[in-house]
Amino acid sequence: MADVPLTLRQRIWNPEARLAYVLLLPTTLFLAAFMFYPIAYVFVMSFFKTNKLSDLTKFVGLGNFIDRFEDPEFWWACVRSLVWTATGVSVKFLAGMTIAILLNVKYRGRKAARMAFIIPWASSVPISALLWQWVYHPEFGLLNHTLKITGLWTNPPGWLGSPLPAFISTMWVDIWIGIPFFALVFLAGMQAIPVELYESGHMDGAGPVRAFFSITLAGLRELILISTLLSAIWTFNDFNVIYILTRAGPANTTNILITSVYIDAFTNLHFDWAAVQSVVTFLILSLVSVVYARFYFRQENS
Amino acid sequence: MRWQNRARWVAVPLTLVILLFLLFPFFVMISTMIKSGPDVYADPPHWIPSHVEWSNFVTVWTQYDLASYFLASLIIALGATVLNTLLSVPAAYAVARLRFPGRKFAMYLLLMIEMFSPVIVIISLFKVVAGFHMLDSYGALIILDALFTVAFNTWMMNGYFKTIPKDIEEAALIDGCNRVQTMTRIMLPIAVPGLVTVMIYAFIFAWNEFLFALTFISSKAKMPLTIALYNFVGRWTTQWQYLTMAAFLALIPVLVLFYVIEKRLVAGLAGGAVKG
Repeated sequence: MADVPLTLRQRIWNPEARLAYVLLLPTTLFLAAFMFYPIAYVFVMSFFKTNKLSDLTKFVGLGNFIDRFEDPEFWWACVRSLVWTATGVSVKFLAGMTIAILLNVKYRGRKAARMAFIIPWASSVPISALLWQWVYHPEFGLLNHTLKITGLWTNPPGWLGSPLPAFISTMWVDIWIGIPFFALVFLAGMQAIPVELYESGHMDGAGPVRAFFSITLAGLRELILISTLLSAIWTFNDFNVIYILTRAGPANTTNILITSVYIDAFTNLHFDWAAVQSVVTFLILSLVSVVYARFYFRQENS
Repeated sequence: MRWQNRARWVAVPLTLVILLFLLFPFFVMISTMIKSGPDVYADPPHWIPSHVEWSNFVTVWTQYDLASYFLASLIIALGATVLNTLLSVPAAYAVARLRFPGRKFAMYLLLMIEMFSPVIVIISLFKVVAGFHMLDSYGALIILDALFTVAFNTWMMNGYFKTIPKDIEEAALIDGCNRVQTMTRIMLPIAVPGLVTVMIYAFIFAWNEFLFALTFISSKAKMPLTIALYNFVGRWTTQWQYLTMAAFLALIPVLVLFYVIEKRLVAGLAGGAVKG
């Protein structure tokens, strides 16, 4: 039977489509109230001055944006976000790859090692951050104690108390949480690569290093792309670790874009500034999500 | 292969060293949770407690209302799991199996939502939640926790529904089942592993959630574990032996559940590029 072109009415109002609408309705309603409307409202708010109760008081057009763009602290937060994300993802990637390679070697107890490596990811982020706070404690923390007694670092810093060490140590906690994701994804990818490929590579005289670059890495290409993208988004969005460990301090030195939204709103009660930062963050994430979506749909279609 | 044999001699010791390094905070947790108060603040600090203070386990329940926080976390997480399942399973069936205009757009929208940090809408969510008179209520957390995993879970279930051959469903439709019946009697039973994954994921997300609880819960009686533990730090001298004990207990359920879904979660996140 030849395909008869459906009329517009038939396409949007047939039994199958109607069932789809019914099934999607509850989710749509909830999302409309708690996601789409709030996003729209943040945009609206960014064009208004607000009072300390977050009520809109006066329309100022792009005034808030100009205000924020003229404030060096805003640009510092952007720079920190960039450094935070770029460094974080790179270290997670390299560490994850190393661990995946190690776990791909067959030995007894490998399963147990794999389970142990997952713990930082499986653990609850707020609880991990609290544990790290205690680990980093300058006087009574076991990190500095261990560094001293092993002679690795006789005069370690106070970690969360001073600017640069605070940035590095909060970033490390974020990295630490994110490593297992890469390790597991890469391991799964490595195990999906047929052994025959390595065998024929071996016959052709390829050593382990050559084999790693031309067989393993080549086989992981798609996975590397998608997992790096995902990890970048998560790293960029990491609010919990910073808020719990330093509340973006000392003196804003661990304040990145995502934390500046919350701190400006609920600590400084500057809701209009927070709205501008929300909008900027939203736009950045939307841009990234377009890349991600194109990639994902290509996979779905193939 | 031969180099695999040699690799073992490098891999095993290296793995142990890295693990020792990465699990450091958990060793600290275990060491601290069995210490007595003076031991925790000993100068210089020490790894091995001078004696094992078993009573810490009792104290966190009797003096610190740990049961109340556990209950709050449980109510919120179970509520979010149920709501999330009720929303994402039908939605996933629709995008996986039904033809309707805007299907692609719906998928795309879900993907975008998955990228969002709830922080960017938190200022307006505060108004919405206040508008529904849901500040300081479990309801607000249940709804928000459920919604922020709806996108991911719909994608996951969509993947599971798609692996079920269309023939099975069509045969049932011909036999006189309607769409709702094929979904509840045929699709769902086959998709049980996916359903379990999705439910556990929603549960874990809600159990670990921090931002919404921090922003919307103010009364002590309704505080979930994450916020209760967070508030415990910094007031006077933090009694880390109780905090680490409570942290240990709060971690057990999520660790166990995470291990159940870990493989399927990785497969789902990698977008079907690896098999679960």
